[in-house]
Amino acid sequence: MKRVRVAPSLWLGTLPLLFLLVVMLAPLLRIAAEAFSGTAGATAALVADLWRDDYLRWRILWSFIQAAVTCAAALVLALPVSWVLARFRFPGRALVLRLLMLPFVVPTLVAAMGVLALWGPQGFVSGWFGIDLQDTPWLLLYGNLFFNLCLVVRAGVDALGHVSAARVAAARTLGASPWRVFWRVEWPAILPWLASALCLVFLYCLSGFGLALVLGGQRYATAEVEIYTLVAHELQLAQAGVLALCMALLTGLVALAYAWIEQHLAVPGRSDVIALRRPVSVRHWGAVLGALLVLTVFCAAPLMAIVVRAAGAGAAAWAAVLEGDSLQAIGNTLRFTAAALVLAVLLGVCHALAARRSVVLRAAAFLPFVVSPVAVAFGLLLLYPGWTASLWILVAAYALLAYPFVAQALGAALDNLPQHLAQAARTLGATPWRLFWRVTLPMIMPSLRRGMAFAAATALGEFAVTLFLSRPEWTTLTTLIYERLGRPGAGNRDEALVLAAVLMLLALLAFMLIDRPGARDAGRNRQMAGAPHA
Amino acid sequence: MLELRAIRKTFDDDAGGHWVLADGLDLSVGAGHTVAVLGPSGSGKSTLLKIIAGLERQDAGRVLFDGVDLAGVPPELRRFALMFQDFALFPHLNVLDNVAFGLVEQGLGRFAARAQAQAMLDVFGMQGHARQKVWKLSGGEQQRVALARALITAPRLLLLDEPFSALDAQLRASLRAEFSQRIAASGIAAVLVTHDEAEARAMAQQGFRLSDGRLYRLW
Repeated sequence: MKRVRVAPSLWLGTLPLLFLLVVMLAPLLRIAAEAFSGTAGATAALVADLWRDDYLRWRILWSFIQAAVTCAAALVLALPVSWVLARFRFPGRALVLRLLMLPFVVPTLVAAMGVLALWGPQGFVSGWFGIDLQDTPWLLLYGNLFFNLCLVVRAGVDALGHVSAARVAAARTLGASPWRVFWRVEWPAILPWLASALCLVFLYCLSGFGLALVLGGQRYATAEVEIYTLVAHELQLAQAGVLALCMALLTGLVALAYAWIEQHLAVPGRSDVIALRRPVSVRHWGAVLGALLVLTVFCAAPLMAIVVRAAGAGAAAWAAVLEGDSLQAIGNTLRFTAAALVLAVLLGVCHALAARRSVVLRAAAFLPFVVSPVAVAFGLLLLYPGWTASLWILVAAYALLAYPFVAQALGAALDNLPQHLAQAARTLGATPWRLFWRVTLPMIMPSLRRGMAFAAATALGEFAVTLFLSRPEWTTLTTLIYERLGRPGAGNRDEALVLAAVLMLLALLAFMLIDRPGARDAGRNRQMAGAPHA
Repeated sequence: MLELRAIRKTFDDDAGGHWVLADGLDLSVGAGHTVAVLGPSGSGKSTLLKIIAGLERQDAGRVLFDGVDLAGVPPELRRFALMFQDFALFPHLNVLDNVAFGLVEQGLGRFAARAQAQAMLDVFGMQGHARQKVWKLSGGEQQRVALARALITAPRLLLLDEPFSALDAQLRASLRAEFSQRIAASGIAAVLVTHDEAEARAMAQQGFRLSDGRLYRLW
């Protein structure tokens, strides 16, 4: 009988698959088991209760509403901004494009602090204009836009950069005005990119935790926050299980829609890009300044607010950074991140190499992006109660959220490797190993570094999982900020702001150290346009 | 009649280089005539077509059609059809809607535009492909669709930018003859840009070489 030969690279996939099974899938199944632990009637009653309960129904509905409103607002704001960035060459354009990555590196809790420093009860805007947005939906929506506007803008710029110059020129010579060209040629071409970016935005908003916890308040917290409350404060595990399962199923449906769009709507890209032009008229400059203003208001202002607030926080707040618990939190944050990064690189490299030969594996690398960190942490608690004292459970959860960045970046780089280079090296006498060492590795190194930078930023700012699994001796910067935020008094608020500034600095430093300018990958990867934030 | 008078166009690249693509260039093309412009890659042939089409602005000089200066007339109002070497068909539209595109832009209803486009496809022997995605067509079929799309709007001038360079030699020869016939039958003026002298001689009554920003008469 003929034996089926499995390619060696596919064996590499067993490690990440096993990891996904143990750290993601099994915990999710355990939640399902918890939800269905009673009789069928009891489970049905729990599901019915979930919908009959006005409070819980509102939580689920609001989770969807805030995600949908964020998508709509992000599209309306991002479309003109992307167009301006994709079509005009102006001083500082390259810097603006690079700064669009900033929100993806900034930890969720830092962003939440930034929003509060700007729009919160003691925020700048409240002080200047007397506007109090506390207990309104706007704080959360603004926070969502801070993260997601840049994602959609980047997708838009990438998409518009792929619009064929010849097709636009053909449409103009066939009688279409610039506005008609946009609707009939550019819009259909960029629609798949935008649709997939908006699906990601929807998923991130739906499964987001940190922003909703800090900015949502009592009325506008999402279902993810409710799951945390049910588990951590009310010990209603069965109800939390049903809610987590419902949210996981709904998230899965959106993720499927995303996958479908990715596969079906894409049309062949073109290489004849539209040349950038210099703004020449007042209208052009107005468009450029308008785009920069939108980005400043939604993406830069919260970060600037943190810096200003932290700088003016006073010596006492800064001295607190050097105290025992703060130093311990900084040490823990760095230690856990380093451990998670090592694991993430190992898993990411194995996954990317194996995924070259397997469509299933390629899709699996995307799963941790869409799964709710709250659900994973809850599942880990239920499934491995004996391991909750082991640091490895936390590191593994960090690695789960971080390693897809490495796998995705590396996968894209491997896909883009010109085959003829490998063929040339082989004909010049390189063995497969020498080929990898002298050609493949140097070429994929920039992408690996970029993936590692995102992975490090994700681990540094991780909040949802840490809050679930944290023990007093595992306090990280994010949990310490949250703890300080929960204490009354201006002193504690100032300490939280200073810690947030320190965390932001660490995240930026890690990102810049790993993803040095000049060592970046020229290739594009749409998935890497954004990072999930919990 | 198309007239170019003292067209000048320079170009600064990102590396600080300064290029003169057209340096006081004159050209006239009468109705029913095809003029070929030859030259190597980067000599400015395509830029010249874009200036005529209104897609790029010349630094100096005038573009006239039937004596009317076209300065300030946007491309969509010039009624010049431009054909590209890579066809520039719209991938989100099927063959029929690609051909109907210009008619819809001229204000014709979609139903009437499609009917005319279907008739045009019949003329081009492409009637069986109306509902097909354009990228599923062969190179020759795509080029026929591109010509049908260009001619259906009854343009005043046809601009051909290396129209056959993406095709193989055999197909190029047969399409060259077919296109010459169709352009002659439509009775419109045409400017053909190519680096293939044999192609230029087969299709054009007059030929020029573009070199150092100037046109030199070849035949």
